[in-house]
Amino acid sequence: MLIPDKSVHRLGRFFSGLLLLLLMAYSSTAQENFQNARLSLDFQSISLEEALDIISNQSGASFSYNPRKIPGDQKITYEASEKTLIEILDALSSIASFEYETVEGKIVLKPKANNPERQKSTLSGFIKDNSNGEALIGASIWIEELKVGTTSNVFGFFSLTVPSATYDISFSYVGFNGLVRRIDLQISQTQNVSMQMAPALLDEIVVTSFEPQLVSEIQVSKTNWRPATISEKPSFFGEPDAVKSLEMVPGIKMHSDGSTFYYVRGGNRDQNMIIIDDAPIFNPSHLLGLFSTIIPDAVNDITLYKGSMPASLGGRLSSIMDVRTRKGNNQQFELSGNVALLSSKLSLEGPIKKGKSSFLLSSRVSRVKWIFALFNDDIKDFQFHDLTGKVNFDLSQDDKLYFSFYNGGDKFLTSNNGIEWSNRATTVRWNHVFSKRLFLNTTLAAGVYDYFLHTDRSTQTKWNSHLSNVNLKGDFSYFKNPNEEFDFGLSIGGYNFNPGNVSRKGSPIPPVVSVRNSNEFVLYGNHEIKLGNHWSLNYGLRISTWTNEGEAFEFVFDNNRNPVDTLFFKKGDKYKNYQNIEPRITVSYNINDNNSFKVSASRNVQNIHLITNSISPFSSFEVWLPSSVNIKPQAANQLVLGYYHYIPNTGLSFEVESFYKEMKNQIDYEAHAETLLNPLLERELRFGAAKGYGIEFQMKKEEGRLRSWVGYSYSRAKGKFPGVNNGKEFNTFYDRPHQVNITMSYDINLRWNIGMNWNYYTGAPYSSPVSFYNFNGLEIPVYGQKNNDRLPDYHRLDLSATLNLNKNVESRFKHNLIFSIYNFYNQKNALFVNYNKTEQQDGGFKVPSNLLDKNTVSTQFYLFQFTPSIAYNFKWK
Amino acid sequence: MNRFFIYLTLIFIFSCNEEKIDKPLKTTDTDLLVVEAVLTNEKMNHRIKLSRPYQELNGNNEPASGANVVVIEGNEKVYVTVESPVGSGNYFTEEMTAVFGKQYLLFIQFEGKEFFAVAGSVPVEPMPELEYNEAEGGLYRLQLNDSGEGPNYVDYHVSWAGTPECQTGALCEGRLVYYDLKTIDVNSLFKPDKEDFLFPANSVVVRRKYSVSSGYKTFLRSVLSETEWRGGAFDVQRENVPTNLSAGGIGFFAVSTVLSDTTIIVEKP
Repeated sequence: MLIPDKSVHRLGRFFSGLLLLLLMAYSSTAQENFQNARLSLDFQSISLEEALDIISNQSGASFSYNPRKIPGDQKITYEASEKTLIEILDALSSIASFEYETVEGKIVLKPKANNPERQKSTLSGFIKDNSNGEALIGASIWIEELKVGTTSNVFGFFSLTVPSATYDISFSYVGFNGLVRRIDLQISQTQNVSMQMAPALLDEIVVTSFEPQLVSEIQVSKTNWRPATISEKPSFFGEPDAVKSLEMVPGIKMHSDGSTFYYVRGGNRDQNMIIIDDAPIFNPSHLLGLFSTIIPDAVNDITLYKGSMPASLGGRLSSIMDVRTRKGNNQQFELSGNVALLSSKLSLEGPIKKGKSSFLLSSRVSRVKWIFALFNDDIKDFQFHDLTGKVNFDLSQDDKLYFSFYNGGDKFLTSNNGIEWSNRATTVRWNHVFSKRLFLNTTLAAGVYDYFLHTDRSTQTKWNSHLSNVNLKGDFSYFKNPNEEFDFGLSIGGYNFNPGNVSRKGSPIPPVVSVRNSNEFVLYGNHEIKLGNHWSLNYGLRISTWTNEGEAFEFVFDNNRNPVDTLFFKKGDKYKNYQNIEPRITVSYNINDNNSFKVSASRNVQNIHLITNSISPFSSFEVWLPSSVNIKPQAANQLVLGYYHYIPNTGLSFEVESFYKEMKNQIDYEAHAETLLNPLLERELRFGAAKGYGIEFQMKKEEGRLRSWVGYSYSRAKGKFPGVNNGKEFNTFYDRPHQVNITMSYDINLRWNIGMNWNYYTGAPYSSPVSFYNFNGLEIPVYGQKNNDRLPDYHRLDLSATLNLNKNVESRFKHNLIFSIYNFYNQKNALFVNYNKTEQQDGGFKVPSNLLDKNTVSTQFYLFQFTPSIAYNFKWK
Repeated sequence: MNRFFIYLTLIFIFSCNEEKIDKPLKTTDTDLLVVEAVLTNEKMNHRIKLSRPYQELNGNNEPASGANVVVIEGNEKVYVTVESPVGSGNYFTEEMTAVFGKQYLLFIQFEGKEFFAVAGSVPVEPMPELEYNEAEGGLYRLQLNDSGEGPNYVDYHVSWAGTPECQTGALCEGRLVYYDLKTIDVNSLFKPDKEDFLFPANSVVVRRKYSVSSGYKTFLRSVLSETEWRGGAFDVQRENVPTNLSAGGIGFFAVSTVLSDTTIIVEKP
């Protein structure tokens, strides 16, 4: 059955028109490609007319000019080696005093106008780590003389357009030696910049001559960190973990010990997305959540957006964690690895063609099977693994191609049953520099998540939930000048949902839960502009259309949630679509170079929904559903107000952000909802509103001998659902008002580093019984207000010490030992409080069998106590 | 299947723990009437138990005495109950049989309020033969298995009062209920360990298998989520157990078909 909506067709025509315009723009640029042909010239006092003839012969370009206004006989001297036509024309225009433009395929020369605004040049290029060719993301490019600058994008590309002159241009990046180059920008230039990592020094020196990004960028609620930051943090079982390092960030509440779930600013956990090179990872957990899937060794950069995401990103209400993998050392081969208590890692990278292309392969395998085999010889497979790879090619100065993949999974199988899950992600990217100011990134990304419960392996009987996504998108960046940038693009993607079905030898077994398919089309634009010396503005719009497509069936429910009709949709039938408009705006006021205020408002929409009423910290049988007939898109409006301060020459930065977030079409559940193998699953859902508000403080010092992140937040998270808690507002599970995070790393000397990490947060709310009654011999709790009680406050101290085993810091083989202690003072942080167990003679607790015995007690369940570990890391190059 | 999940939870052996805590409950008085009533196809005086909730773990329901309780069979026959003994909150019907195919209405007047619930039964499927295994120390344990196609539960009453192992003054009996609701729930798959229940040879085991209707199944599934399945690694949100009683009532009024048998545990060679 088709649910028509005229506005969809209008929107479709609008998108089609816009797409056509974009294609025309692309086509027009393609016509001008001859301008990028590379020429080598040697003009020694020849006439301009002769010079143009030579250029015309070599490049195929055709010139037109008025000899009365531009003397063709004027003599010029000029040399060029492998320069583009544009570079040559830029240079000649300066020498012979003319301007030029392309008209219908011809290059028309005109006398130079007496307008200084027109005399501008662009410096563009890529910034890389000179040791391995990795892109430096967010590196600063700064011209002190003009007090203008920019930062490199996620591919290391930058573009800075300034009045034509010669400048001292500073390049800087945290942890790297700053670089100042004197560059003649009389003409536009492309310069790739390689920066050198700063050597380990024990002097406390932090010198910056540029405007700190935290203060200057027109972006709020963004946290960026590099793998080194994660590696320095004390880690559980010696496994540095990207997801778990989120606990350093104020405003992010980790579910509990042993979990990769996290909650951001009052939003539920399915409102966070992790993307690896733009491909989504739907379940980032290993060993049920003890570890996450993201291996820092393969990561170049991680950026977390807690609100007001760039218009190019979306699809979740609360946060996006954008993980960019390393592309591999394009200078030399490198082998690195790690041996920890529960797993081992090995990475190999190196050039395919030195300086032009490289590869990276990084893998991790667990070594836990033998532990469990001690208890049970029936275990057939008990492991988790990750494999990350990337290949990249510099096709030309202006074209780069990347292919990356991730494959990770867990298997816990006995001879006849078990569970298994996997995440797979693949990305193909093409970067193209159309001109010094226009950059395009085209991405084809796919993510697949499967969860299996094997109930009888001999008959291949298993329950499977599945979610996959494929997405094609084009992201354009146009750097108009240092004060103005446009980002725009579009994407088209498809989703496939299997909310959990049982099959035997591939044939489904009733009951059958409908599989769903959905398509999403997104168009976005973002404009960032600096208005004078103090004010800046960043505004954008993201327009999306979500459409469901058969083959599927959907139920129609009456007001009492009884099914009254079933809608069947044939393969290819389009039904129930939603159009969403997601505006965002950020206004920044720079008081001076080191202080700024920002205010931001944004709206986000989410069309995929995790359906689980589990309160477990561990990854379990989760199913996903799309926005459809019975589920509307979730939406959130967020307001952020922030103050940002940088203390010059100390490396210290400070920020405070307050936020207020309202969310609608939120999902809660009927009491004890049946979420597995339930064709009427949507009947179990309750829809309502939620809100989050709070204030977050963070102080960071990322350079020098002592590095630290210190954060505090006060925040609340509330929900209100008709049919839940009698319709009254309640504290959600992730309402934990006070949170303190302290992470520090200190270099004692060139061989020893010590680290600490301390976390505190108010205990999580839960419902404790207000009374009990007996039925059939069981003692049943009666609950009052939902989440009327709280678990004890959580706090934990972790310590680590790293010993570099090399006495010679220049050695090609580097190795170290990391000693760490998780939960140093052995705090028992409760996950659950239970009221239904009896104490056993061995000190354990079990549910009673004999219903005539009544001796249950209150107990708390907690995970890791004092947990020491050791890990060995090596790198050879 | 459960064996596998026991092994899986070994993953936490080296890391997780449980301990007794002294955390006071935030209890409050609730003006709720607890109803525990399961009519069966057995010809007998059926009990309807009325009580008030209690505020401490291992407490006892405060009897709800002085209520008028009536059972109406399919708009045809009315069974008036009698509280016996007075003050106990236990109300007994006259001798009756609750049969499959009829609807039963429970009507209660208590302290000026009225409560009602409707229920019907489904047939019960045959029970397989009782299975038991020898455990350590010459004792025995029941082997509890799923049976049949429909949801059901089996109530085991075990008595060793007539055996030499029963010491004077000791309570030489026990009661287990094995629920087989035919649902797939994560918290059930990963439910916490249960105590071992052991008994000597020559114990007498009385089994009663109850059929479970759809509404009763929903109720029992919630009961188990809040009791026997609570405390594992994959708990669900805590919620009040639903009821088929009208507003102000909790508990459940059910009608079941019952099969029963008696077995004497024979010493295995």
